Amino acid sequence: MKMMNLLQAGAIALAVTATAGVVQAQADSATAPLVETGSSLLYPLFNLWVPAYTASHPGADITTTSTGSGAGIAQSLKGLVNIGASDAYLSDTMAHMHKNMLSIPLAISSQAINFNLPGVTSLKLSGPILAGIYSGKITHWNDPAIAAANPGVALPNHVIIPVHRTDGSGDTFIFTQYLSASDAAWGSTVKFGTSVSWPAVTGGIGANGNQGMVTAAQANPYSIAYIGVSFSAQAAQAGLGQAELLNKAGNYVSPTPETISAAAASVANSTPADERISMIFAPGAQAYPIVNYEYAIINTHQSSKDVATAVRTFLNWAVTEGNSMSFLKQVHFMPLPAAVVELSKAQIKKIK
Amino acid sequence: MKIRPFRLTVLGLSLLIPAALCAVVLFLVVYSGQAIVFNGLRFLTQVNWNLGDLYDDPVVVHGIQVPSGANYGILVFIAGTLASAAIAIIIAVPLAVGAAIFLAEIIPSKIRPALSMLVELIAVVPSVVFGLWGIAVLVPFIGRYLSPNGSGYGLLAASIVLALMITPIIASTLLDALLQVPRENRESAFALGATHFEVVMKAVMPMVRTTMIGGIVLALGRALGETMAVLMVSGGGLNIMPTSLFSPISTIASFIAGQLDSAETDPTNMSVRALAEIALVLFVITLAVNACAKLLSSGVLRVRKRA
Repeated sequence: MKMMNLLQAGAIALAVTATAGVVQAQADSATAPLVETGSSLLYPLFNLWVPAYTASHPGADITTTSTGSGAGIAQSLKGLVNIGASDAYLSDTMAHMHKNMLSIPLAISSQAINFNLPGVTSLKLSGPILAGIYSGKITHWNDPAIAAANPGVALPNHVIIPVHRTDGSGDTFIFTQYLSASDAAWGSTVKFGTSVSWPAVTGGIGANGNQGMVTAAQANPYSIAYIGVSFSAQAAQAGLGQAELLNKAGNYVSPTPETISAAAASVANSTPADERISMIFAPGAQAYPIVNYEYAIINTHQSSKDVATAVRTFLNWAVTEGNSMSFLKQVHFMPLPAAVVELSKAQIKKIK
Repeated sequence: MKIRPFRLTVLGLSLLIPAALCAVVLFLVVYSGQAIVFNGLRFLTQVNWNLGDLYDDPVVVHGIQVPSGANYGILVFIAGTLASAAIAIIIAVPLAVGAAIFLAEIIPSKIRPALSMLVELIAVVPSVVFGLWGIAVLVPFIGRYLSPNGSGYGLLAASIVLALMITPIIASTLLDALLQVPRENRESAFALGATHFEVVMKAVMPMVRTTMIGGIVLALGRALGETMAVLMVSGGGLNIMPTSLFSPISTIASFIAGQLDSAETDPTNMSVRALAEIALVLFVITLAVNACAKLLSSGVLRVRKRA
């Protein structure tokens, strides 16, 4: 009798395990849960995407978190998340060390240079001027270099307060890349990165996050700050001016949908197959100089076939339907050019 | 041998805390090993901090792979940490002592619990709330009325925010001790004709000196390690030593929080190791400060009293 009971118990246990296994497998093929982490700039877009995607793909399950581009890259590399979001592509060294890591553009972002200058509403600036300000060579608003770029503007004789990000940031990456590309001295000393060794400028301050940049620029008259375009509404509300920047063709342009698209179009055809390219200081008469691809950093070897399928399906949706302006305009992003969508799709196919 | 389950359980539990501490220190030492070798003593004496060019090929220095141009010097952050914590203590101690004496001596005992609860309530406010208050109220105020260059971010803002956070810690420890001073002490002092001020200063405060120093040490520990609130109002000083109350600073803890994300993209991993080394330095500073305070509270003061 006892033996019988034991056997029965064993059989039941086996049956339970088997059923659980089947249920598990079915769940995987339909809705392998995905985890996304990284860029705080992409995070609002993911939060628009995921509900819409889940609505059209029943059972899809994507968790999004905002940690920072560095964490997005690092955790995707370690296989802790399926999708790492980053404002910057993988460096050459990283790409060579980890050949199975892809940098896939999802959308196009840009950055404004904002200023808090009492009495001045429009201002023209260039890479060398900004490099001068952020390295402490240009200290006053009425510096000859700024005056030469702004004829007819009454510039105050007041110390400039440059504001930079203290946390690691894709905005710092693209801003310093603009300075590196347009100013030789900056390019050979400070260079670019998500955090750089900011030259010591008396009075210069650091702020935490894009919101912190807006607040700091608002609280400090005569300051200048670089702020991601997703925060342009907050910056305008804070009364900050938006500078026109000198592009590669020698024209001063504001960040508008037209100038950002112009920059994207001029880089689209030169984008390589691995899509790791800077859009900063792009050629083109109307191209805005601080524009960048927002990336998904993906490991081609996902934990299972089902997970890989789920990642591919989502990313394909993101670069096509997800690139419609109904999503992007809410965060002031721009869609990928058609040629780049094809490159992204080709890369997405590699995920297995 | 007799097995004592209760004693064994309690022993095991009590060993967990020091074990966790040892594990953290051991991890920091092992993890930052390469960085310690690479940096040497320059780490503590240099002003310049540079993660290097993380997008260029790494270089090999003394057999260790590092990003090109990397240079790790943390003197600025040590200075920022010590200065902000010291000023915070200078602001907080008189406030806290005054508040505690007021609550213990002046206030009728019926409303004392309500007021002392309010003080303790400040101690549990999350630090990010203090940071927000700092950004919204304190920084603009300092910038408009105090700062010569118009910027409110910096050492003073960080110190005031820290002071507010640690005042209730000192006040509530001191208040508990004051309430335990025997009635007889006060009454005999009054009987000798002492004024209320003299009673507090000569008959009550000497009894609680050790507790007060204990509270200050606890508060100092919090001030040295506070991250978020400082990150929000300190102005993120980098590569420049603070020269005045209005200079931007970085503290060790806030700097680690700010740099970690970028450090994670370093293919050589040296940046993260260097951050671990900073954490180790913070640990040593906290330990040293606490040890000094313990010495002050036990030995030195008593010697002076006898003399």
